[in-house]
Amino acid sequence: MPEILRMPEVAANTTEAVVSSWNVSLNTPYAAGETIVTVETEKAAVDIEAEAEGTLLRLLAEEGQTVAVGSPIAVWGHPDENQDAVDALVAALDLPAGSTVGGDAGNESPAEVAAAGAAHDGAGTASSGHGGRIFASPIARKLAAEAGLDLAAVVGTGPNHSIRRRDVEAALAVSRAAGASDSGPDTGASPPPARQETGPVAVRADFEDVPLSRMRQAIARRLVDSKHSAPHFYLRATVRVDRLLDVRRELGGDAGAAVTINDLIVRAVAVAHSRVPGLNVRWNGDSVRQYRHADIAIAVATEHGLVTPVVCGVDTMSIGQLARRTRELIQRAHNRRLRQEELEGGSITVTNLGMFGIEEFAAIINPPHAAILAVGAASQQPHVVDGELQVATIMRLCLSVDHRPVDGATAAEWMRELTGILEHPVRILA
Amino acid sequence: MPIHRAIEPGAAWTELVVTDADWDAASAELLTAMLSQLVLIRTFEEFVLDLAAKGLIHGPAHSSIGQEGGAVGSCISLTSRDTVNGSHRGHHQFLAKVLTHLHPDGIDPAKPVPEDVREALLRTLREICGLARGFSRGRGGSMHLRWDEAGAIGTNAIVGGGVPLAAGSAWAHKHAGTDAVAVSYFGDGAMNIGSVLETFNLAAAWSLPLCFFVENNQYAVSTHIAEVTAETRLSGRGPGFGIRSWKVDGMDPLAVHLVLQEALEHLRAGRGPVLVEAEVYRYFHQNGPFPGSAFRYRTKEEERQWRQRDPLDTVARHLVRRGILAQEDIAGCIQQAKELMAELGEVILEPKPDGKPNEKRIKPQEWPDAGIVDEGVRGDLSELAELPFTDLGDHAGELVESSFIGAIAGVLARRMETDPRVVVMGEDVHRLNGGTNGATRGLSERFPERVLGTPISENAFAGLGGGLAMDGRFRPIVEFMYADFMWVAADQLFNQIGKARHMFGGTGTVPLVLRSKVAMGTGYGSQHSMDPAGIFATAPGWRIVAPSTPYDYIGLMNTALACDDPVVVLEHVDLYQSRGPTIADDYDHYLPVGKAAVRRRGSAITVITYLAMTQYVLAAVEDVGIDAEVIDLRWLDRASLDWDTIAASVQKCNTVLIAEQGTQGTSYGGWLADEIQRRLFDWLDAPIERVTGGEASPSISKVLERAAFAGTEEVAAKLRQMAEV
Repeated sequence: MPEILRMPEVAANTTEAVVSSWNVSLNTPYAAGETIVTVETEKAAVDIEAEAEGTLLRLLAEEGQTVAVGSPIAVWGHPDENQDAVDALVAALDLPAGSTVGGDAGNESPAEVAAAGAAHDGAGTASSGHGGRIFASPIARKLAAEAGLDLAAVVGTGPNHSIRRRDVEAALAVSRAAGASDSGPDTGASPPPARQETGPVAVRADFEDVPLSRMRQAIARRLVDSKHSAPHFYLRATVRVDRLLDVRRELGGDAGAAVTINDLIVRAVAVAHSRVPGLNVRWNGDSVRQYRHADIAIAVATEHGLVTPVVCGVDTMSIGQLARRTRELIQRAHNRRLRQEELEGGSITVTNLGMFGIEEFAAIINPPHAAILAVGAASQQPHVVDGELQVATIMRLCLSVDHRPVDGATAAEWMRELTGILEHPVRILA
Repeated sequence: MPIHRAIEPGAAWTELVVTDADWDAASAELLTAMLSQLVLIRTFEEFVLDLAAKGLIHGPAHSSIGQEGGAVGSCISLTSRDTVNGSHRGHHQFLAKVLTHLHPDGIDPAKPVPEDVREALLRTLREICGLARGFSRGRGGSMHLRWDEAGAIGTNAIVGGGVPLAAGSAWAHKHAGTDAVAVSYFGDGAMNIGSVLETFNLAAAWSLPLCFFVENNQYAVSTHIAEVTAETRLSGRGPGFGIRSWKVDGMDPLAVHLVLQEALEHLRAGRGPVLVEAEVYRYFHQNGPFPGSAFRYRTKEEERQWRQRDPLDTVARHLVRRGILAQEDIAGCIQQAKELMAELGEVILEPKPDGKPNEKRIKPQEWPDAGIVDEGVRGDLSELAELPFTDLGDHAGELVESSFIGAIAGVLARRMETDPRVVVMGEDVHRLNGGTNGATRGLSERFPERVLGTPISENAFAGLGGGLAMDGRFRPIVEFMYADFMWVAADQLFNQIGKARHMFGGTGTVPLVLRSKVAMGTGYGSQHSMDPAGIFATAPGWRIVAPSTPYDYIGLMNTALACDDPVVVLEHVDLYQSRGPTIADDYDHYLPVGKAAVRRRGSAITVITYLAMTQYVLAAVEDVGIDAEVIDLRWLDRASLDWDTIAASVQKCNTVLIAEQGTQGTSYGGWLADEIQRRLFDWLDAPIERVTGGEASPSISKVLERAAFAGTEEVAAKLRQMAEV
């Protein structure tokens, strides 16, 4: 008996995900545990593994298509499954038009258009899907061929759902974004040379409109939302970090993990949270959630965009554990291998542009956090102590705070604690 | 009772009849020369018919056997500077002119055939058989025989089609200051066709040294002359046009010769054209080796009676009668000619492998290489190699604002000033202060000999221009007051001028410029509002330029005039009053062949347009606010299209709109869309779109007229539609 493969809920509270890539071909047997399909949410790509051996008999969702959680994406079974049975099963699904649609209004993706088109056609697949003739413009075919892109995976937005150049470019942008982690640094280069061969297309325009990746869409939406809904206020402080740097040097080779200045700051934030719990909160709309542990997000700039993996229970970790955990998260962030749950939770983000020599900056709170700590560069500066001029290593901090759950005084108290900890780093280890 | 007074025609119309006294007075050299030509031509044609009977001639073999008297009698007095052309039935005239050219003092029938005669006969035979070493590389065949060097400027398969061309040759003779003449041979079937009658009038009006030589053999294919005209005495047509006319027995070579003596004196004295009607008879049907009686449109008795007056026999009889030659000499002459033709046959023929006994075929190595099929449709432009091509941005000189019509008059005046070969002709071009639009302003005052106001007879004056261009001594600029008149002159434009170069072997030149006015929007209605670009684009041989700015007009006209191919310069009345930058006092710059102008850079849609539509496209693009790239083609013909610019733009934009104003049926863009989809298919992201006018020709009513052609609004609507998809 053929069976339905449905879109899994890859992360809590997600309602939809994108079929990023089908990793096994139709009618090709796979083993249990083999990755069948990769699905992508706004922040993570998840490999879906086969529960048992079998064969994909029919694809019900194209690559790039957004599908509601729980909706069918494929039919699988034994390789010699009766086609009539497959047809009957698909027919019985009676796929509603909305089953794979759920994007934000005004943010309709090509995949959604295709899903709607498929519904109009009364078939389970888009009109440009497998089996029938694919309507595609000559330049769309050429670009797809050069990029090794299967047109069956592209959804057309032209007349009669034909595939136009823009559709191939959108698909290529998505597959580049999705494929970068799979392919590593070398294979990532294969589409770009093809683009160069198309010369006039890429080179002669004065600009190129790069279609939004899912991640870029998510960043844009979340940060606009944050700025609109969370009333920000900002506290600035200057910290002398000579002793913090000494501590870092002393910890240097310890525990197999180089401790970074950022690790020490994250650890200091955890200590400040335990001393001023009023900042270790989040705004729920109708309540304020008070956290018991210090779950702290760290901002990681990757080539695909900004991600903020959360280090949970920093208050319970040794500095070495923290350093190792942080390094691992950053590595996986770059490889797009973060799991959805690793991107969730926390009350504060630590973001550091010190490595770029930025002295000070104010950051936008990463919702649903209550605050974000922006860390500038440490640099030697003239410093007056008791009327005497000294050379000191100074670092500037800026805390952005959501005024809804946190008042200024609470935040100021937290900030005073933090600066105290950083200037007396022995407290970090407390 | 009204009184009737007889009116005498202004030109004389006489019949010349010879007597034995005339035969006695003729020199022995003249008569033996006539005999040699008659024997060689007769024998040659009999051999051709023999080949035709064996299926070795592809296409028709129109023999003139029986008619040689007219050709030999007339050509034998011509010099090599004199020119002749003729019709589909032209072997005899061609050979008579060639033989006279090679041996002006006559060929001695008692001596072996000279080697140069043998070569010319072989080359003619090869041409008739369609072989590579014929005069026109086998392209012309029996009906298109040309050897410029001999003054044989080309026979013609369109009845009457060659007559206007001969007028061009005659004009060149006259205005080059020579006393040479042109003779145009045609048959009784051509006497009632417009181009011949138009040329009667034009040649007489301009007093051209042109002999209209009609071979009245009484039958147009199978239709007798009495069935198709009330005045069967065809030389009677001449006096009505003021042309001195003779009737003569064409079966009598001496009679024809004597008429020509009188006619040539008239012509060389500059007293205008002449008409000679020679009554002749073709022994065979229209083509092929069977007599006309076999097709039952005439009797064997009629044929027998005419054969009794055979021109060869007549000359032979008088030669024997006067004791100049013996009967055996004549038999020997004929025998020698037959052996020569058999020998020439051996040169081009071989036994057919696996064929019947004596079955022959053309030697394979005699055929032309099929690869030359399109070679020489136009020239290679090597005549332009030394020209200093510039575009507007290349000049250091001061830019000034000029009117379009001023640019036309300015460049024409400048070229007439620097190049005495340039001749302007057309209706009213010499009056009205520069024609109907002022384009030729000031020219007739400065160059009265070279600014020719024509009768309203487009076929004649277009053809005259064509003949003038083919002659090579002048560079005519022919103006058509309205583009639609091209249909009136279609034979001359497309069958003659456009095809001549290729048809006659691909090496000749046809430096004719046709100025053709596009007048849609002026309220002149269905028969005066066409855009001819689409039609000219289908015609091999023509180049087409479509200037949209004063600067372009000057540069394109200069290049067109320097080019050895026929070029139609399209002019749109909407542009005449427009203004644009030109170089101050500079009418000497040239725009390169095959270079379009990108009038607006963009990346969304490639819009290809030309002429006045360019400005409407640019307005529509601004109106819609789309980032279109607008290409003004400048050169429209297949050979001169700027594929580099088009390809680069299509590869960038991937979407194409071809915009033009004229009606669908004759529109230009169809072939271009076809070519683009084939050349650039992989770069297209959508079907190639087009904007044209409607199906109907624009009407007089202003509202209906505007609805019939396309402009800014139609382009804007199409651009919006394309942007939405």
